Amino acid sequence: MTASLARIWAIALNTFREAARIKVLYAIVVVVVAVNLLAIALGEMSVSQHSRVARDFGIAGISLFGSLTAIFVGIVLLYGEIQKRTIYSIISKPLARWEFVVGKYLGMVLVLTALVAAFALAMTAVLAYQGVAVSGAVAKALVLAWFEVLTVAAIAVFFSSFSSPFLSGTFALALWAIGRVTPDLRAAIASSESTWIKWVAKGALVIVPDLHVFSISGGDVDGQHVSVNAGFVDWGYVAAAAAHGALWIAALLVLACAIFRKRDFV
Amino acid sequence: MDVITVTDLAKTYRTPFRRRRVDALKGVSFTVARGEVFGFLGPNGAGKTTTIRCLMGLCAISGGKAEILGAPVPSRAARQRMGFLPEQPYFYDYLTVSELLDLGGRLAGMGAADRRARADKLIVRVGLDHARGLALKKFSKGMLQRAGLALALINDPELVVLDEPMSGLDPIGRKEVRDLILEERDAGKTVFFSSHILSDVESLCDRVAICVGGKIKDIGRPRDLVDATTTETEVRLALADDADAAAVAALTARGTRARRTAGELLLTVGGGVDVDAVLAAAHAAGGKVIAVTPRHETLEDLFLRRVADQGAREVLR
Repeated sequence: MTASLARIWAIALNTFREAARIKVLYAIVVVVVAVNLLAIALGEMSVSQHSRVARDFGIAGISLFGSLTAIFVGIVLLYGEIQKRTIYSIISKPLARWEFVVGKYLGMVLVLTALVAAFALAMTAVLAYQGVAVSGAVAKALVLAWFEVLTVAAIAVFFSSFSSPFLSGTFALALWAIGRVTPDLRAAIASSESTWIKWVAKGALVIVPDLHVFSISGGDVDGQHVSVNAGFVDWGYVAAAAAHGALWIAALLVLACAIFRKRDFV
Repeated sequence: MDVITVTDLAKTYRTPFRRRRVDALKGVSFTVARGEVFGFLGPNGAGKTTTIRCLMGLCAISGGKAEILGAPVPSRAARQRMGFLPEQPYFYDYLTVSELLDLGGRLAGMGAADRRARADKLIVRVGLDHARGLALKKFSKGMLQRAGLALALINDPELVVLDEPMSGLDPIGRKEVRDLILEERDAGKTVFFSSHILSDVESLCDRVAICVGGKIKDIGRPRDLVDATTTETEVRLALADDADAAAVAALTARGTRARRTAGELLLTVGGGVDVDAVLAAAHAAGGKVIAVTPRHETLEDLFLRRVADQGAREVLR
């Protein structure tokens, strides 16, 4: 078991090192910092809502750019290894294929965690500039956004285990978009008169991870309006959402490993 | 004990869209004994690389079975005690050779001190000491090949599998790879390699297998596989340009080919011809013998014959 963990960790560290060389990631960090600076400017235009704008922009930025980064990095994670033929030298070592997939995903977790931390730091700096302390609600929203990003990464890795980056990107973006609008799908099931729409919406709710549970600020939870700026969810909700994400991540990685195990590298 | 045992190995692919069946391997069988240098020959598309990929666990086996060091293929146990250099190896180009070897050592389950010591030794051994701090993307093809060899040897494997290790190397690079193979053999290791360079195979290998059309056509020691009968003899003579024309004509008539250059005659006579009689005729014509070279079938001749046979069969089919 320890030997297996050591091999997974070796792959994870190498993946982190590889991703750290992707220049676009640094561009994304710059964009997120710019978004946070924009929040300062917009906050100045609003009346006594400075910190509200900063929080909303900051968390939305983490969720959006974090998820897009997860897709961008994840779709080439496994496919790139096969295309570049780097996999021949690695898989021929005493390494199980599932260890390779899990190691690659863990490396991505390290990269995305570093990015989310950088985004959160930018938001905290903006809030500090406005003289506002980081509240418990913001901390909870950050944890939720982090889990959303990790779940989206698992979706991208799953598709990368069997399809090209273009198709993987298309599928992952589609699932991300659908996963964000699950309340609308539920509303469609409740209100639509079309059986066909009901079935499609029900099917989507089963096969698509519910990503809305991670971005609930401004929405309703158990009939209560929640907002990162006012009454927000408790830590019990965050734990449940994290467990939901962890289950989806585990399921997607198991599927990715099963597919990858069967692949011929020719 | 055999280090590699391959029995009726079959590999079938399906083409991506039309799902056409391609039989890349049609029942390949061979064994490689401990301490042997075994050459795996074949033209492009013969199934050499597919066989190696099946052995390395990169491809699923469609039929038959294979064992490496007593462990079934594919298995981690089989890969634990071997090293592999793929054809035209590609590595993470942002790593240095030390980092690459450290990654390989970690995956092989080596401890930190062992990894460092072994990597240092191998970097010197493959002649990359001067390029320790250089990212692999700045390496030449020959340097990458040497880095790949070091990676294959990082876990001090009992079996080394090399897919076209001389491919694309200059004569110096080829010699270095040859020396490395011999060093491994002298250290008691088993080396299995595929190559197109038949002279290297002939000089290095204890045994060879010739694979054509997904099947093994010949297997054995190179000298046992080729026909040792003299096929022709080449006689090189110093011959004055003004030598007796009739005597020279009588002499050249004994050969199958003759080439006259300034002061020399190169005469090729058939295998069944009495060479002593030819030499006597040469003296009669005023010639002086420079060299007499009997020619036998070479591995290359055998290889080309097998490939030609297969080509003829495919045309008939």
